[in-house]
Amino acid sequence: MINKYIKLCICILIFFSKLHSQDIISKINFDSSLNKIKLELNKYILLNKNDSISIETIKFYISNIKLAIDDSIIFQEPNSYHLIDFENISTKSISLNYHKNIIFNKIKFNLGIDSATNVSGALGGDLDPTKGMYWTWQNGYINFKFEGKSNICQNKNNEFQYHLGGYLYPNNSIQEITLNIKNNKDLNININLDNLLPNLNLSDKNHIMSPSLESVKVSKIIANSFEIK
Amino acid sequence: MRIFILLILFVASILFLSFDTENDLFNYPTSWQKPYYDFTKNPLSKEKIELGRRLFYDPILSKDSTISCQSCHSQYSAFTHIDHSLSHGINDSIGLRNSPALMNLAWNKSFMWDGAINHLDMQALAPISNPIEMGENITNVVYKLQNSKIYPKLFYNAFNDSIITGEHTLKAISQFMLTLISSNSKYDSVMREQSDFTQQESNGYKIFKANCSTCHTEPLFTNYEFENNGLKVDPSHNDYGRMRITSKSYDSLKFKVPTLRNIEFSYPYMHDGRFKRLSDVINHYTNGIEESETLSKKLKTKINLTSNEKVDLISFLLTLTDKEFLFNPKFGYIKK
Ligand code: HEC
Ligand code: HEC
Repeated sequence: MINKYIKLCICILIFFSKLHSQDIISKINFDSSLNKIKLELNKYILLNKNDSISIETIKFYISNIKLAIDDSIIFQEPNSYHLIDFENISTKSISLNYHKNIIFNKIKFNLGIDSATNVSGALGGDLDPTKGMYWTWQNGYINFKFEGKSNICQNKNNEFQYHLGGYLYPNNSIQEITLNIKNNKDLNININLDNLLPNLNLSDKNHIMSPSLESVKVSKIIANSFEIK
Repeated sequence: MRIFILLILFVASILFLSFDTENDLFNYPTSWQKPYYDFTKNPLSKEKIELGRRLFYDPILSKDSTISCQSCHSQYSAFTHIDHSLSHGINDSIGLRNSPALMNLAWNKSFMWDGAINHLDMQALAPISNPIEMGENITNVVYKLQNSKIYPKLFYNAFNDSIITGEHTLKAISQFMLTLISSNSKYDSVMREQSDFTQQESNGYKIFKANCSTCHTEPLFTNYEFENNGLKVDPSHNDYGRMRITSKSYDSLKFKVPTLRNIEFSYPYMHDGRFKRLSDVINHYTNGIEESETLSKKLKTKINLTSNEKVDLISFLLTLTDKEFLFNPKFGYIKK
């Protein structure tokens, strides 16, 4: 009797492993680095002799993921909306389903949510308004939240809070990012804070909380600090 | 054989009648334009509408469980708030604006006086999260609903899922609001040729068509545009309306043209509730128009009305009252 069960289990295992090998699942992992080392949230890190910073929130939408060979798009993820929250490890990698024997050399995706989706009413999953990434007094998704503390910030709590977004001209903050892929293994995408922080004016621009040209500008700076590791 | 066929026909017609079609849930005069709301993304059902109605009347949506949507939008005033010019929220804090009457919302393209809200589904988030209105957040509302005795079951009946989400909560509230259709005023029955205006109302209707209907366009009594109708800025609020959203100087002092249906009961009037009586409103249009760069072209020539004409115009506006809407038990508080 037990033997029979074991046999059955083995059969099921074989069956699933077969399924698995047909469709390899490629992962995209997101992370961030500061001073060339992996970022730890909520920990003060020295920037130079006098200044330090603690990053508390990095939370953003990645959408419309495409894999391409040069300029031709080979794979486009259907219904592609992902909320990445560095506080929640399980959200830091995205699993993609695509056929194994194609070698891509480019990945394209949007940082943020497209305008059509912004005006589509209540949506579920990662787009559910309970995720805390939706402005309430004036509608629209927050594409990117970047929050923390630093003595550089000239305000009462030495804090900064960037909530970036906006889908209407001229404040459309969504950014298309294209990165070159070196090999077809899992992708590790890094937000390089060593490139990002010097371009932000943390000392006097501490808060961006609504769609604005300032939000567009900072969204561009952030998009430029995405890199393949 | 014939009896058999008749029997089948009979059974079929009973079945047909007993099904709720979309039309039973959402009825509007055939002469109206098609609604703007996309029902394919949120198909109406009796269970969802009832759930939305319960949520609309439930103070569980506010932080201290004292305020529900109806606190500022009550049925007998066409779902606006008539005691105060500016709406009151939790801790009796006073908001910047007067709550608009809620009706025929499926035709609206944007919401709020300045169009800040782009979709009816997202409307409820604004009062729920506003610290001076309900002072709550949707994540916590969903948590409270999930842990209540009644809601998981009601959400299951409505959405086939007892896990409550923000999406489903908002969609249910939308469904109830979509059913708030007012289309049975005296004006409507005159248009259907089922009754007649009095001489006075009929005069008023002519005056209305000559002076008002370019913005308050029939049959919904709004053109859904943002217009500057010549109100002076109140220096204690400095509310520039649409410009806050678009940052365009040509949108300065423009507000969404409100419907005039049930206007008799939706006082006080204007975005800040500055006028208490319809006669104040008419006097504004005849004598109070403030010149400014963005004043609507439609109001550039002075409107002259005699005092009799003013009375006639008001008597026409009163034909827009829809008692069936104001007292329809389907829209009221759910008695347990
Ligand atoms: C404290 C008072 C208050 C509460 C509570 C409140 N509202 Fe409102 N509501 C307002 C005010 C004021 C406005 C207009 C605000 C503006 O234009 O800036 C408004 C506008 C609206 C509109 C837009 C109507 C239009 O024609 O543009 C809708 C729809 C609405 N509210 C629905 C709701 C729902 C649903 C709830 C419950 C979740 C709710 N309201 C709770 C005061 C309130
Ligand atoms: C240029 C377009 C325009 C014209 C013409 C116009 N209105 Fe208005 N009306 C508006 C706008 C815009 C508002 C809202 C203004 C605000 O609150 O800031 C409004 C508000 C009102 C209100 C208050 C509604 C409410 O719910 O608070 C009434 C009543 C009204 N108008 C009646 C009239 C009458 C009667 C006429 C003709 C004499 C008229 N309007 C002509 C644009 C117009």
